[in-house]
Amino acid sequence: MRRRPLLGAIALAAAVTLTAAACGSDSGGGSSGDGKKTITIGFQGVLSGDNQQLGLNALYGVRTAIAEVNADTSSPFQLKLVESDDGGSPDQGPTAAQKLIDDSKVVAVVGPMFSGATKASEPAYTQAGLLSVSPSATNPALTTLGFKTFYRVIAPDTVQGKAAADYVASVLQAKKVYSLDDKSEYGTGLSGALEPELKAKGVAVTHDGINPTKDYTSEATKIIAAAPDVLYYSGYYAELALLSKALKDKGFTGKIASGDGSLDPQYVAQAGAAAAEGTYLTCPCGDANTDPKAAAFVASFKKVNKGAKPGTYSGEAYDATLALADVFKKLGKDASRESVASAFGSVNFQGITKTVAFESTGEVKGSNVFVYQVKNGAITVLGNTADLIKS
Amino acid sequence: MGFLDQFWQLTIDGLMVGSLYAVIALGYTLVYGVLQLINFAHSEVFMLGSFGGLFAARALLPDDGSVPGGLASVGLVAIGLGAGAICGGLAAFTLERVAYRPLRRRSAPRLAYLISAIGASLFAVNLAGKEFGRQNVDLPDLFHNGTVFTVFGADVSTQSLVIFAVAVAMLIGLDRLVAGTRLGQGIRAVAQDADTAVLMGVNVERIIIITFVVGGLLAGAGGFLYAMTFNASYSMGFVPGVKAFTAAVLGGIGNVRGAMLGGLLLGLVESYGGYLFQASYKDVIAFLVLVAILMIRPSGLLGERLGRAA
Repeated sequence: MRRRPLLGAIALAAAVTLTAAACGSDSGGGSSGDGKKTITIGFQGVLSGDNQQLGLNALYGVRTAIAEVNADTSSPFQLKLVESDDGGSPDQGPTAAQKLIDDSKVVAVVGPMFSGATKASEPAYTQAGLLSVSPSATNPALTTLGFKTFYRVIAPDTVQGKAAADYVASVLQAKKVYSLDDKSEYGTGLSGALEPELKAKGVAVTHDGINPTKDYTSEATKIIAAAPDVLYYSGYYAELALLSKALKDKGFTGKIASGDGSLDPQYVAQAGAAAAEGTYLTCPCGDANTDPKAAAFVASFKKVNKGAKPGTYSGEAYDATLALADVFKKLGKDASRESVASAFGSVNFQGITKTVAFESTGEVKGSNVFVYQVKNGAITVLGNTADLIKS
Repeated sequence: MGFLDQFWQLTIDGLMVGSLYAVIALGYTLVYGVLQLINFAHSEVFMLGSFGGLFAARALLPDDGSVPGGLASVGLVAIGLGAGAICGGLAAFTLERVAYRPLRRRSAPRLAYLISAIGASLFAVNLAGKEFGRQNVDLPDLFHNGTVFTVFGADVSTQSLVIFAVAVAMLIGLDRLVAGTRLGQGIRAVAQDADTAVLMGVNVERIIIITFVVGGLLAGAGGFLYAMTFNASYSMGFVPGVKAFTAAVLGGIGNVRGAMLGGLLLGLVESYGGYLFQASYKDVIAFLVLVAILMIRPSGLLGERLGRAA
């Protein structure tokens, strides 16, 4: 028994040495087998936790883009990916960001994904001068906080909230709307953009907030007591699923609507098809699966990711990665953190979701908001809000 | 609409959730009564039972997504409950064998049990996350959920009725077991004084195992009921576990009837509080009530000991 600590210490020392050796051999080369330069990019996103699916959607998009670049023989470089999981939470964001910052080979990052985690992580990226391109963080304030190296390829919630409000008021003809958010950076940003526009359209709005929980029974009672025509939930799918279930159990007769954070087939899977049926979902993102222009992307996505279909944010993450590759190509040999961060602002790249080009704030130029609906247990696109309101 | 209009609806919701808390709380209280040990891994027994019941029911559901009715529904609920209880019982048994018994054999200090419980809990959570995925898993409807009857204008749905009825049946069953059987006598004897119980010919090791398993059976079946309303996930155990522990303390930990009372009370307070204030204050209110009651009655509403009270 007494010798145990010593044995333990020896085992530990051996393990450390082995790990160090393994890492050492890995970090040897900056160029791959066929003499091409290797450029490393990072990915920060939600790879664990209740809303993991959204993170996987984006990660698979990044992987697809990387596989395409690496398969292209004319490309002067190979891309390598380092993943960092922030669980979608503001607490873990800075640690996840630091992991990528500390890896000196990473020259740019796709991510972070959720608005709260982004807000918490960006000060570190700005300080390190490391470019980060979010495929999905839509809180309006993010581009006003002085994050010098922050860009996003998705329209902020001001655009989505306004379009969603117009749709709810004009097409769904709601007189009374219950606006519920999850009190997150993302949720409050979206409800904050939605409510003034609804009021401007003469719709009566009740505002309420609830932190993510499992038990929505008393909230459902409250919503039904208020008898709204439409409930708009600003939050993520795991919670909307439970809320929809609770509302169905209590016989809610109004319509349920939500934003891009809930636009995922997991919503239907977790709420059950019956509770999810008819739910409207808005998103500043098109549906790659039904867009003929994106057919090549869908095929390549399925090939790279073992048959998985692109989901919410997959296209945005793919575009962000290819826009980065476009910048690397122009920079040639001197793709460093510094040169990439200063060159990215003037990128002009035709992606599958939109043309990736930025305002000076880091906001993407021009974007459409689409409406989706759960029909027969599947999320189907209804169309662009602007067109739907006109018709 | 005002609080009074919704009073009965909130009462029904509160009783439904509260009866689930009570079922889980029994596991804490039984083990505490016998061993003076807070089994912090009990929430994971609940989680594993929930998955057991959910997978059993899902395996038997028709593939076309139709909702079964009549006898098929009754059967499915019964099978789910049974599978949940068995998984919970097995999990509790294993837990006792692996995490507690070796410590007891070596007369480890109290703190060691606590660390062991937390370790077992983390292990179970992460194993479940790995095996069942880190998404919420939905349990499809097992019966047509509609309003069965109304009480003072409040709808009582099939689902809340089933949950409440099963939970109350389990509570009464356990109460009878502890108060009226030879086994219950043994449990009470060990709870009062383990050393004397040994002298009186009670097999303490056996009683401890049975206590864990009974708590596990209840938590597993409760987990299945919980999944019917709130879905199952690898991390589902924590919050209900803390709530149930609170309920046990509220009623007087180590006291079987106290745990039942505490659970129902906590459910009601949460339901009212969530409506009166913002829903996010629900937990704040629940714990305020706990602190307030403990200030007046430090040993809980019904006092502490399993041996004396039941």
